[in-house]
Amino acid sequence: MELNGQLALTVLMGLFLVAVAAWLARVENWRSYTPLGSGGGGYGQESGYVSQEKPSGFIRWLTTVDHKDIGMLYGAFGVTAFLVGGAMVMLMRAELTVPEMTLISNQFYNSLMTSHGITMLFLFGTPIIAAFSNYFIPLVIGADDMAFPRINAIAFWLLPPAALLIWAGFFPVPDVIPAQTSWTMYTPLSAGVGQGNQANAGVDLMLLGLHLSGISATMGAINFIVTIFTERAEEVTWANLDIFSWTILTQSGLILFSFPLLGSALLMLLADRNLGTTFFAVDGGGPMLWQHLFWFFGHPEVYILVLPPMGLVSYILPRFSGRRLFGFKFVVYSTLAIGVLSFGVWAHHMFATGMDPRLRASFMAVSMAIAIPSAVKTFNWITTMWNGSIRLTAPMLFCIGFVSNFIVGGVTGVFLASIPVDLVLHDTYYVVGHFHYIVMGAIAFAGFAGLYYWYPIYTGRMYQRSLAKWHFWLWMIGSNVTFFAMILLGYGGMPRRYATYLPQFTDLHQVASIGAFIMTLGALIFLWNFVVSWYEGPVVRDGDPWDLKEDSLYTTEWEWFDRKLKTAVADGGEALPGGEESDAAEN
Amino acid sequence: MAVKIFDRETILDLTVNIIPLFIIGFFLGLFLLYQAWGWDTLPSVLMIGLHVVPLVTLALLTYLSGKAIAGSEKTGDVFHQGQALVPGASEKEHGGAEAEPAIAEAGDEDEDEESGTEETRAAE
Ligand code: HEM
Ligand SMILES: [Cu+2]
Repeated sequence: MELNGQLALTVLMGLFLVAVAAWLARVENWRSYTPLGSGGGGYGQESGYVSQEKPSGFIRWLTTVDHKDIGMLYGAFGVTAFLVGGAMVMLMRAELTVPEMTLISNQFYNSLMTSHGITMLFLFGTPIIAAFSNYFIPLVIGADDMAFPRINAIAFWLLPPAALLIWAGFFPVPDVIPAQTSWTMYTPLSAGVGQGNQANAGVDLMLLGLHLSGISATMGAINFIVTIFTERAEEVTWANLDIFSWTILTQSGLILFSFPLLGSALLMLLADRNLGTTFFAVDGGGPMLWQHLFWFFGHPEVYILVLPPMGLVSYILPRFSGRRLFGFKFVVYSTLAIGVLSFGVWAHHMFATGMDPRLRASFMAVSMAIAIPSAVKTFNWITTMWNGSIRLTAPMLFCIGFVSNFIVGGVTGVFLASIPVDLVLHDTYYVVGHFHYIVMGAIAFAGFAGLYYWYPIYTGRMYQRSLAKWHFWLWMIGSNVTFFAMILLGYGGMPRRYATYLPQFTDLHQVASIGAFIMTLGALIFLWNFVVSWYEGPVVRDGDPWDLKEDSLYTTEWEWFDRKLKTAVADGGEALPGGEESDAAEN
Repeated sequence: MAVKIFDRETILDLTVNIIPLFIIGFFLGLFLLYQAWGWDTLPSVLMIGLHVVPLVTLALLTYLSGKAIAGSEKTGDVFHQGQALVPGASEKEHGGAEAEPAIAEAGDEDEDEESGTEETRAAE
């Protein structure tokens, strides 16, 4: 009986795959995909036919290898994941308004927390950065497309299955439960041994999904490294490379050296779980091995996430300060320094594990050293704004919010890097406050700066400015209320990763939840504005909607946009006044 | 290449990375001179390695990137970031014309400050 059912399912699956293959063969002319035949091996020339053969409608999005389309796909994916991860955390914040267990079970709380972390880091953070880099880097460096357009498409299309695997435990599949390992997946819990329920297949699926997202990131990274090294236009020398491309180049290097390591560690963990190996078993390799491997990836990962947003801010902030980025080359060199040093600090996440004090001190020393390049950038941003003619547009507000939040996040980080302080604050809400100031207060803010700044380019329209400012202020206030409360909770000794707490922490937890609800309101406003303006916003008819030319701050991607507007076939007049409106500088 | 790449200007740009190098070197010296936990071969050698490896890699990358950036600065036109392909964009080095960015709406800024900053930039 069971066997028959499985057989039927297999046959059905096979038929389905054949049908898909047949359908694909009809919509795509596979024979045009012979890159070697295009002569001269010039990958850059491919985009000629790539853009000619774009099918229309839905199929276009499934088959596209155009870097701009893929950037849009990454963007849509990232924003969606952000909403999912946000919904997860709002359930948790609702639960945390009271000390005891009420709304959800503590197991479900742990599942949400695990998924929230992984979703935000791997399914929102990396993809939203890839959205900007895919769309804009080839434009800014004067490349026809990415060096390997098809690998680019594959890298993106690995992400949706990765997301499904990571979230698998939440779907109504019998006997599969979500992982409750937290994003750090510490053994022995994640090895599934002992009394817990983490031997469940849901954890394996999550690990496989994570592995898949790592493959995607690695493919993307290789593509960016090759593109930036080999596809730059002649004028774009190393001295002329913009800061965003520099940060993406560095980020790609970090990905290249850290994600394969995560992948290997995940496979070892999967083997421990399913094949009886003892890599991380207490009397095998030991749980500390996992921590070392994980954080050797994990610390570079946080810089993988923060460097490109730093690049975005360094790129956008000067445009609304009426002047160039102060100390451009300082920013470039310090980016590279962060890239190297981020591999030498991993054990500052393990100060409390009882490792040899000599090693611990070494990691503290390098952690102190890495604070310098970060601080240098902060001073550069502030100096750029100092006495500039600042225009408080929505992207600029988000840039300023980034700088402000990054300062709090960075300073709390330096305190944590000091061993005696860390021994007190480790595993408290202080750490949660620290990294949320950075991942939410800085990285997400930079993402929004980019989404608003380039909105005219990728939608052809302008968003509603007053709503964008509402979004900013709700988020600036909300994030500081939430995450500062967390820092105070940490000082009070509130441990992280608990669904319940002692009554003395109630007030601050409620404050944190209020901040989170303020941000939810802001997010709804953002979503409304983002979608409605896409359809109904005033059409942008000028390639310089931010008036950058006045300050000689006009850049290549706007120049491209301008050319596109001018050469576009007139499609029979939409209301002009809207277009006029959108050139007026916001303020 | 005939032009000297690592001149005073370039070294000045590289100070951002020389400072962390110095900090790591300082701690290495400190930990070697004052060994609070004594000497045991494995942990002590690891300790030295944890300083020396970042130190050497960072020094190497700083040297290579300095060479690439300052080198192309000296042999080609230098534009501000993102502007190399904008027709008619002014160059960085001899860009006297762009020194006074028009102050758009706000118009409340001090012109002297503006040009002061541009001089700082040009001096970099
Ligand atoms: C100024 C540089 C920084 C320093 C010195 C620093 C230091 C630290 C330290 C020592 C911890 C461990 C705290 C503990 O668990 O006891 C920590 C945790 C963390 N930091 Fe930072 N940090 C810095 C910047 C950043 C940045 C830029 C990001 C994100 C992009 C970040 C993200 C995180 C995360 C996610 C954790 C928590 C990991 C976990 O246990 O789940 N940090 N930081
Ligand atoms: Cu770290």
